[in-house]
Amino acid sequence: MTAQAAAVGTVRDRILEARELREPVRITGAGRWQDAGRPVRAARTIDLRNHAGIVEYVPGDLTLTAGAGTSLAEIARITGAERQWLPLDPFGSAEGTLGATVATASCGPLAHAFGSPRDQVLGLETVTGTGDVVRTGGRVVKNVAGFDLTRLFTGSWGTLAVLTEVTVRLRALPAAEAHLAVTVPDASVAGVAALARAARALRAEPYALELVNRALALRLGLPPAAALLVRLGGNDASVAAQRDAVGALGHVVELQSGVWSALRAAEPSGAAVVRLPARPSDVAQCWGVIAAAAPDALVHATLGRGTVRAILPAADEGGRATALLAFAHAAPRWVGERLPAALWTEIDDVLAARPVSDDAARSHRARVALVRRIKDTYDPMHLLNPGILGEAIA
Amino acid sequence: MHGLADRLRVIVGPRGVLTHPAELLTYAADGLPTYRRRPPLAVFPASRVELIEVVRLLHAEGRGFVPRGAGTGLSGGALADPDTVLVGLNRLDRILAVDVENRLAVVEPGVVNARLTKMVAPHGLHYAPDPSSQTACTIGGNVAENAGGPHCLKYGVTLNHVAAATVVLPDGELVTLGSADGEPDGYDLLGAFIGSEGCFGIAADVTVRLTKNPEAIRTLLADFRSLDDAARAVSDIVASGIVPAALEMMDSATIRAVEASIYAAGYPVDAAAVLLAEVDGLTEGIDEDVEAIRAMCLVRGARTVQVAADDTSRARLWQGRKKAFGAMGRIAPELVVQDAVVPRTRLPEVLSAIAEIADRHRIQVCNVFHAGDGNLHPNIAYDGRDPDVVERVHLAMREIMATCVAAGGSVTGEHGIGIDKLDYMPLAFSEASLAAMCGLRSAFDPEQRSNPSKVVPVRSCREWRATPAARETVVGGDGWR
Repeated sequence: MTAQAAAVGTVRDRILEARELREPVRITGAGRWQDAGRPVRAARTIDLRNHAGIVEYVPGDLTLTAGAGTSLAEIARITGAERQWLPLDPFGSAEGTLGATVATASCGPLAHAFGSPRDQVLGLETVTGTGDVVRTGGRVVKNVAGFDLTRLFTGSWGTLAVLTEVTVRLRALPAAEAHLAVTVPDASVAGVAALARAARALRAEPYALELVNRALALRLGLPPAAALLVRLGGNDASVAAQRDAVGALGHVVELQSGVWSALRAAEPSGAAVVRLPARPSDVAQCWGVIAAAAPDALVHATLGRGTVRAILPAADEGGRATALLAFAHAAPRWVGERLPAALWTEIDDVLAARPVSDDAARSHRARVALVRRIKDTYDPMHLLNPGILGEAIA
Repeated sequence: MHGLADRLRVIVGPRGVLTHPAELLTYAADGLPTYRRRPPLAVFPASRVELIEVVRLLHAEGRGFVPRGAGTGLSGGALADPDTVLVGLNRLDRILAVDVENRLAVVEPGVVNARLTKMVAPHGLHYAPDPSSQTACTIGGNVAENAGGPHCLKYGVTLNHVAAATVVLPDGELVTLGSADGEPDGYDLLGAFIGSEGCFGIAADVTVRLTKNPEAIRTLLADFRSLDDAARAVSDIVASGIVPAALEMMDSATIRAVEASIYAAGYPVDAAAVLLAEVDGLTEGIDEDVEAIRAMCLVRGARTVQVAADDTSRARLWQGRKKAFGAMGRIAPELVVQDAVVPRTRLPEVLSAIAEIADRHRIQVCNVFHAGDGNLHPNIAYDGRDPDVVERVHLAMREIMATCVAAGGSVTGEHGIGIDKLDYMPLAFSEASLAAMCGLRSAFDPEQRSNPSKVVPVRSCREWRATPAARETVVGGDGWR
């Protein structure tokens, strides 16, 4: 029996045991993101940290299969030796695991060009809450055989199945790269709206276009002003031309590639983090909501994807709660990444009290019913990560 | 079914329901000639409200139904059995909204793929997935099949270009999947819906992402004395860091068929393989990529590498590829357009194995493929009137699929399972995995009335409803590893 087959067997045994005892389990990877999502009600843990290592890597195929507990840093090291990479840079430490990244569908600035885990995962090995070993997808870059459980389990936060092995698509590293910061003198709503429009019309194919506010710029060691961080790749001629195009947006500072890992690691421990998703044209408005309610927050926006992310360091708890509730009131949409445990209920109440049309309410009810049927299909005893996604699928 | 036809006429009007066998003949097949099933009844809603009412009526009557777009599918997925109703979506063909700033469009399912691209062209945008049938196939069908196309090497498949969909579930409830307003939240139900081959309900509208047109495009044609050399050139190009927009290959049988047809594209008829490569993007740097690709082809033994000088010659080079299926159709009365995927590095050995299988069964296989993705289209032209030939074609197909799975591949990259590939599913997936797929279907469609008996063998679906203890699984038993 291979090491990986033994690994999946262990996870399966743990789930069968949980079923027998009727005791819920929490699924963890490197254990670096325990406060993500809603509080989990489980005394037992299934730890994937030791289910690490490359299972198969054929550089010529640009695909890689690894145990779920393999860290992103390890994958970067192994693929980098072949001049390849997995363009996935979720916020937090690079010591975080591939399994956790996929289970939470987490991504970062590179999602601008390369999408999120749903766009990069080719196949999974999982153990469902029923104790079934289910393999989804495959390890080829194009595959439409059967119903797409890969997409269902990616981003399901371990509430349907435990991911034990992940196959991803890789890319070849470009011949040349450039990392730039464009100073943004006017970070008002109107200023950000104008910048977002200019960035969309840019004569370039950037890998990342990330706007950071002044507080975050300072933390990254940049000049004291909001800045647009730009990551470019391609051959020499293409990168040079793209750099010229970016220069037209404003004053440009050349950066080292380390700025991106600094950005990933920018959140202080104990910080509350929320994301406000919007259409790209509405990013400026969400930016304004955050600036008004939490002027001290560290804020950044993935412009093309339409996500604004606010990091509120642990300080004055009352002030922070007021700010978070203000986002929930004012923003069109709201995703909690890490929150003080006590605040979840209050914020869920605010969101639930928002007026919706009859049609939207009916569609919402149909969606909740569908989600419950899915949950009951793969984890009928509700043993996996109970509570993490809220009451609808508790 | 006559009572049902009358009730459907009340919803969609007298011209929206077909019951006459002669009229229904059109809907008895899709793009795959091997299967013919004439539906008993076809209904064509012309608005979202009509679509919902039709689905609710079918639900109330406990009747199965098969959604159908343009019928260009290649897996028999849009065929209706004698006790199911065909729901044609061609009349739902409005482009509802185009949001140029956010590069989104909201379309009804019956909108033809190429029409959307034409409509947004004045804004410098296009819809990226480009299946060969794009002048006929519909966005709803593309979503159902998770359609690809030559340019998905760089731009991705349908999954990567759909932001949201409003879906009529088989019980008539309407639900929004995904989000047009930034990143979605919760389970990726949209991702699960895309590629579900009509088994999870019917999309009433689809919000697709539009892509900025590239500033510059260059197309090259390299011809090789061996398929292996061409396959190695493909690997070199992909490993170099250049991301071609497309990398297509055709073998000698295909080249000869194309060149003997009205679609002749000037491919060298004595070549063992031609490689069609396209790069696009900014003007600066593109010619460097062209030169790099040319050099890599020459290193691998290409006899000649020509670069299209203008749009006319570019279109001509592509014509042979896009019309290859049509050209092959001239060889024999029937043509099976097959679809499978292998890891790119296994292309040379799998191609040799396919040639060996074809020889042994005395059939002719023409290979056209998306080489950059390892997505093969081994096509067989044959005479369907000869039962002995039909049997040999069937055996050869099965062996080809088993070969691709054994090489670590998949039984379909873009055509879907439908009914044609049901038998191959157990080659690729364990019983537990197939049963888990059925579980997802049952969550969307508990009564399994939407496109019944497609995609996953019915036997596996019975399994999932058994108790977990009765579903003892074999660890490591899947074929794909």
